[in-house]
Amino acid sequence: MSVDVLLVEDNPGDVRLTQEAFRAANWDIHLHVASDGVEAMEFLRKEGSYAEAPRPALILLDLNLPKMNGREVLAEIKTDNVLKTIPTVILSNSDTASDIAASYQLHANCYVTKPTLSDDLDQIIDYINSFWLKRTRLSTTAMN
Amino acid sequence: MNSASMSARIKVGAPLELGESSYRRLLDAAPDAMVVFNQAGDIILLNVQAEKQFGYRREDLLGRKVRTIIPEGFSERLLADGLRSVEDALAQQIGTGIELTGRRKDGREFPLEIMLSPLRSGGDVLVTAAIRDITARKAAERDLLHKMRELDRSNEELGRFAYVASHDLQEPLRMVASYTTLLCTRYKGKLGSDADEFIAFAVDGAGRMRQLIQDLLAYSRVGSTVKDLCSTSSEDALERTLIILRSVIEESGAVVTHDPLPTVLADDMQLVQLFQNLIGNAIKYQPPGVPRVHINAIRDGDRRWMFSVRDNGLGIDPQYFERIFGMFQRLHTREEFAGSGIGLAICKKIVERHGGRMSVESQPGVGSIFRFSLAGTETKATRSTEEKLACL
Repeated sequence: MSVDVLLVEDNPGDVRLTQEAFRAANWDIHLHVASDGVEAMEFLRKEGSYAEAPRPALILLDLNLPKMNGREVLAEIKTDNVLKTIPTVILSNSDTASDIAASYQLHANCYVTKPTLSDDLDQIIDYINSFWLKRTRLSTTAMN
Repeated sequence: MNSASMSARIKVGAPLELGESSYRRLLDAAPDAMVVFNQAGDIILLNVQAEKQFGYRREDLLGRKVRTIIPEGFSERLLADGLRSVEDALAQQIGTGIELTGRRKDGREFPLEIMLSPLRSGGDVLVTAAIRDITARKAAERDLLHKMRELDRSNEELGRFAYVASHDLQEPLRMVASYTTLLCTRYKGKLGSDADEFIAFAVDGAGRMRQLIQDLLAYSRVGSTVKDLCSTSSEDALERTLIILRSVIEESGAVVTHDPLPTVLADDMQLVQLFQNLIGNAIKYQPPGVPRVHINAIRDGDRRWMFSVRDNGLGIDPQYFERIFGMFQRLHTREEFAGSGIGLAICKKIVERHGGRMSVESQPGVGSIFRFSLAGTETKATRSTEEKLACL
């Protein structure tokens, strides 16, 4: 059964790397990509062209986005009754203490710094895949 | 020159006439301009230096008011007024140099410093002023202040630049490094041996770029941290360093020893970094065999400690003693030893930030000793450590 994951990332280079990494980790993943926060929220709320969008099992969120920044997206997801139960992993360039703290304050499920080497990214995506998508139990019922 | 020892007779209200040529000669021999005033602010005596300094002949100034040569600030502060006696006025100013502005005969003004002493004569108290032209000193002070501001600004800019360099360069670097690695893993052997070689160079370059950027950031951080120096156990810092270097020490079979080390005034994290770079180098730059490193500290003058890190490594040719402390300076090829050449530059910067200097003594084929000094602390705890060390 195919699993849907939403990647919110504006850098096409990073998008492709993440796609490659997921491909190596798990062929059953359908990776959806939103390139900014506004698009991400439309996808999650099934608005406009995203009316038929599936509910993702996992959200990978970059903090550094145009228009609406990653923190705002995180805040919106985690205060929305329907969306807050979706595990949201921050995938960010930054390793500063303040960014990490702020993300956890807003209830990010975990925080990962993007590694320099693609080998390391493969490994991280593999971990994310086995942990969040294979081992942990996710809520499939949305609260209304 | 003690006023009490002078026996000149002085007529109150009249220009001072001294019969004693020895007194006059003393005054004229004084290196500073000397001027004597009475309570009314009249100039009653001056020496040759004063004539030169203000551009007047003696006769032209005698009997004139002090404000002729010091337009502002003198009378108000230094002569008796309705509110205080001259002794009180003077008492406030004795021993301190007062900065005022003097005016020469040609109208030109200049900054001066005045030192005062009271001069009793008969029933009166006169004021003797030693006056020094401080134009040069003032200019030097302004220059220094200007240079310090420039230096601060320059450092700030450099820090920002280093931050931008390391931070904003990370992302494009990630793209280069990641995709060349992908090319390597996915297409190795499939695009021909030339392509393999080209890709290998690209991957290697990206890896070194990454290291350079990290080192640049580490170097810039040394100066930019605002943590104050405080009382730190250098022995604890060394222990922490040895824990960090544990795997390097195990792999090389190195033997690291130390004498008891003192409490010093330092930034503990930077001290750890300093030890780490020096001991790491000592273990790395070795011929085959067992690396031996010894750390100790001896008294350096009253208040400082001179640390040395001694090794039995490759040694350094004296002609390179200066160069090794430069940024990204290396004495070996990348095939011989890895590393970007920033380690000793960081050490030097840390030591300088702590008010010390780094030096090296070395003999190729025998080993090296790196020395640096740190300030000791004045606490009782230190004293007992010193006592302990003194007993050894």
